[in-house]
Amino acid sequence: MAEIWIFAESREQTLELLNAGRSLAGELGAQVVAFALESGLAQEYASHGADEVLVLPPLAGDQPLEAYVPVIAEEAGRVRPDIFLIGGAQRGKEMAARIAARLDTGLCSGCTGLRLDENKQLVMERMLFGGAAVQTVVCAARPQMAAVPPRTFEPAVPQAGREAKVRELPPVSVSPVTVVKRTPKVRETVDITEAKVVVCVGRGVEKKEDIGLAEELARVLGGEVGCSRPVAEELQWLPEDVYIGISGKKVKPELYVGVGVAGQIQHVTGMRDSKVVLAINRDENAPIFDAADYGIVGDLYDAVPKLVKELKNALKI
Amino acid sequence: MGEEKFAVIVVGAGPAGSAAAYLLAKEGLDVLLVEKGAAPGSKNMFGGRMYSHALHRIMPNFWEEAPVERAVVREEVTFLSGSRSVTVSCQDFGWAGSFRHSFTLLRAEFDAWLASKAEEAGAMLACGILVDDLLVEGGKVVGIRAGEDEMLADVVIAADGVNSIIAQKAGLAKMFTPHQVATGVKQVIKLSPEEVSRRFQVEGNNGVARLFVGDCTKGMRGGGFLYTNRDSVSLGLVVTASELQKGRYKISELVEEFKHNPHVSPLIEGGEVVEYSAHLVPEAGLNMVPQLCGDGILVVGDAAGFVLNLGYIVRGMDFAVASGEAAAKAVLQARESNDFSRGGLSRYEQLLRQSFVFRDLEAYRKAPAFMENPRMFTAYPQLAASIASGVFTVDGSAPAHLLGKVLSRVRESGVSLAQLAGDSWKGARSL
Amino acid sequence: MLNTIACFKWVMDEADIKSDPKTRQLIYERVGYKISDYDRNAIEEAVRLQEEHGGSVVAVTVAPSGARQCLKDALSRGPGKACFINDPTFTGLEPGQTASILAAAISKMEYDLIICGEGSSDLYAQQVGPALAEKLGIPCATYVNKLTYVAEENKIVAERKLDDGIEAVSIQLPALVTVLPEINTPRIPSLKQVLGAAKKPVEDIGLDSLAGTFSPCLKTTGVLAAVMERRRLRYGTGEEDIRKVVEALLREGVIA
Repeated sequence: MAEIWIFAESREQTLELLNAGRSLAGELGAQVVAFALESGLAQEYASHGADEVLVLPPLAGDQPLEAYVPVIAEEAGRVRPDIFLIGGAQRGKEMAARIAARLDTGLCSGCTGLRLDENKQLVMERMLFGGAAVQTVVCAARPQMAAVPPRTFEPAVPQAGREAKVRELPPVSVSPVTVVKRTPKVRETVDITEAKVVVCVGRGVEKKEDIGLAEELARVLGGEVGCSRPVAEELQWLPEDVYIGISGKKVKPELYVGVGVAGQIQHVTGMRDSKVVLAINRDENAPIFDAADYGIVGDLYDAVPKLVKELKNALKI
Repeated sequence: MGEEKFAVIVVGAGPAGSAAAYLLAKEGLDVLLVEKGAAPGSKNMFGGRMYSHALHRIMPNFWEEAPVERAVVREEVTFLSGSRSVTVSCQDFGWAGSFRHSFTLLRAEFDAWLASKAEEAGAMLACGILVDDLLVEGGKVVGIRAGEDEMLADVVIAADGVNSIIAQKAGLAKMFTPHQVATGVKQVIKLSPEEVSRRFQVEGNNGVARLFVGDCTKGMRGGGFLYTNRDSVSLGLVVTASELQKGRYKISELVEEFKHNPHVSPLIEGGEVVEYSAHLVPEAGLNMVPQLCGDGILVVGDAAGFVLNLGYIVRGMDFAVASGEAAAKAVLQARESNDFSRGGLSRYEQLLRQSFVFRDLEAYRKAPAFMENPRMFTAYPQLAASIASGVFTVDGSAPAHLLGKVLSRVRESGVSLAQLAGDSWKGARSL
Repeated sequence: MLNTIACFKWVMDEADIKSDPKTRQLIYERVGYKISDYDRNAIEEAVRLQEEHGGSVVAVTVAPSGARQCLKDALSRGPGKACFINDPTFTGLEPGQTASILAAAISKMEYDLIICGEGSSDLYAQQVGPALAEKLGIPCATYVNKLTYVAEENKIVAERKLDDGIEAVSIQLPALVTVLPEINTPRIPSLKQVLGAAKKPVEDIGLDSLAGTFSPCLKTTGVLAAVMERRRLRYGTGEEDIRKVVEALLREGVIA
């Protein structure tokens, strides 16, 4: 029987991939096999769609998660599943690339879409050129592998009473990569991926203090402030967890407002799914206007205060 | 001591710089060609067309190898006046005969090719490098400084374009005034080759060059242009900087209006803008030509103000190439006597005087002043269009011979006969 | 003494890529090329380590044979030598192929450390680095934003910037790292460096000198420009226009 394998570094991602895996399994008449980082998760994975759960042994404290690569690759190499989906968060991307190299098979990284074609081959979709284009690929070798970014799929819905075979995997050999220190990140800000309105600060804003303009607009609109990459990375006016772009946060708010944002493709890819886009920029040729529903061409120092005033008026606040 | 020395350092890999570097390298000299853009041509802009004669002299039949767009077989000057326009159109297939008279081209490709020819001939090309200053010893230019690096040379050739920092640093030129330059803004609009040929009614790889005068600059000194490339058109406006500074219009807005002008829009309908560019254009002719030689230094191309704008003809690249050629010859002669002083390099000015460069600039010396006549951009385009329209209108009104039609419209235009006669006389003799 | 290999990719400048709005086909005409952004950081990091610890830096690339000009750019950034692994068929290679080709060439070289960019600016698959490490049988660390070489112990300590925090790992050499752009600021080559590049040695490596076949596993069945349907309405900053914008936002129901 064909097998669809799933590995992800977190429970949430595993549940998302179980959703995708189950629907592919339905079409292929296949079994779904999921890796679990601890035996306590096996039952949950079973009820969310796994037919078999492979439990990975615990790692020593100075071993990174990537130490699992040899054992996962060995198991997959013995069985050669039809499809192997890996959760494409950061570690997952490295592990997927290394596993694919060990298995001498192809890997579609950053895979944002999966479907089967008429020959039951897996057709995988991904972005190119910073988000400017969409590529579809198929893989001749087995397993067909895809690294899927978090939140590409909704988590699977559990079914009561579903059972799975559970198998414990033997201990892993020590990785030559030793963790010497872990410094957890302190979450500074609100998660802007949850915000209904996002006001994004771009390089058109001249001084750090002027971010206050965007903050006021966000307040009036009931939203959060984010930024384009240079404002966080180069200027460091805002923390990195609020920069929106292909290598940063992806937001899908009801309303996105770009304040002095040029709209380079790498940024637009991070906000393209916004319901409504309003952009303010004094350069009429700025690419953001192609990505906007409403574009105000003009000085943001003029437009934003006027917008705030008009909004307060309209919302009677 | 350990300092790199070249025979010649050319600052700027545009047509003037690359032509000079090419000829000098071919003679075996150690030439350094320094360009501030990431690639030659990336920072350069022009209306869209180069007259071939100058480059043909140093690279015969260059069009067989160079990335040129279309050979121009038709020249048009259009006067725009509201719902009316009148166009003088001249087609000559001889212009695309065995000698191709002029070509439309795209600077990024063309300049990169010309610089690569200089490299092939043995010149060292360094891109992405801005020359900050000249090295001067005892009043003589001995090299350049770029960032922290210093390079020595017997001669530095300033080919760094319309606002030549090098010529200014050498004390040869002063900063230009807004009166002496124009702002040119251009868009490259993509169409298919078949569409270009169809809309402009040319066959094969033939092309059209069009200039526009009148409404497009709203009375300011300047004009519009449109050149057909292989699969696009280059379209834009040039307006004297001092006029724009009066602040009534933004040139980018004027270009958009120009594109929507009913006499223009059908030509570019459905085309996608693939490139925007803007640049300064020298306008004042001989009046802005700086001192051209100093001890150890020569100035060529736009840096020397070698641009001729007659309204119906606009030339820059052929002057640039010819001045590069003259500079190369002057350097070769200076080497024979090992005299790179202003005197030793003076052959440069001699050669320019003997060539079309000075000859043409001299002959058309009065053109810039003539072009200051505001009637050229307002009353005359209107008058021309009105006369032409009147001549062709049949609506049952009282008959008149041509002279009558002309005179009645002249009367309506508010231009006196004396002005008209005077302007015509002056115009015919200065343009 | 540290012998480092910096891998780089010559890519199309994504800013120059246009598309036909009707067919959604990409238009690659008049596209400029560049060294992939993060690879500049990889080269810079290798050169920085050499300036600190001595040794050598070799810049290595897998490219189509027509891409020779990439070597001048790479060499002007500090490496002492370049390896141009090239063949006319090396266009559109998938990451697995690039990794295998690099491994075949590099396995014949002497090195202590290999530095790659975290991902290329065209495909951003983030595969070649880790895949190359596996093919060579050496350990790797990804997402590195700080790298230290501990000479006495012949190891590196790499700080990895991950979503949940910084993970510092220690690896005995030989090893491979992939670096993030925040690790350094690539120097802008000076005139002397640009001129010097022309004099540095380049080793040409052809397909025939590499062991193995490098056939692709993936096949691209389509590439289309991403589309976004937007209204693209324009307004000015006048009072009237601002009012119209606010009314539109209210109508869309996106403000409470």
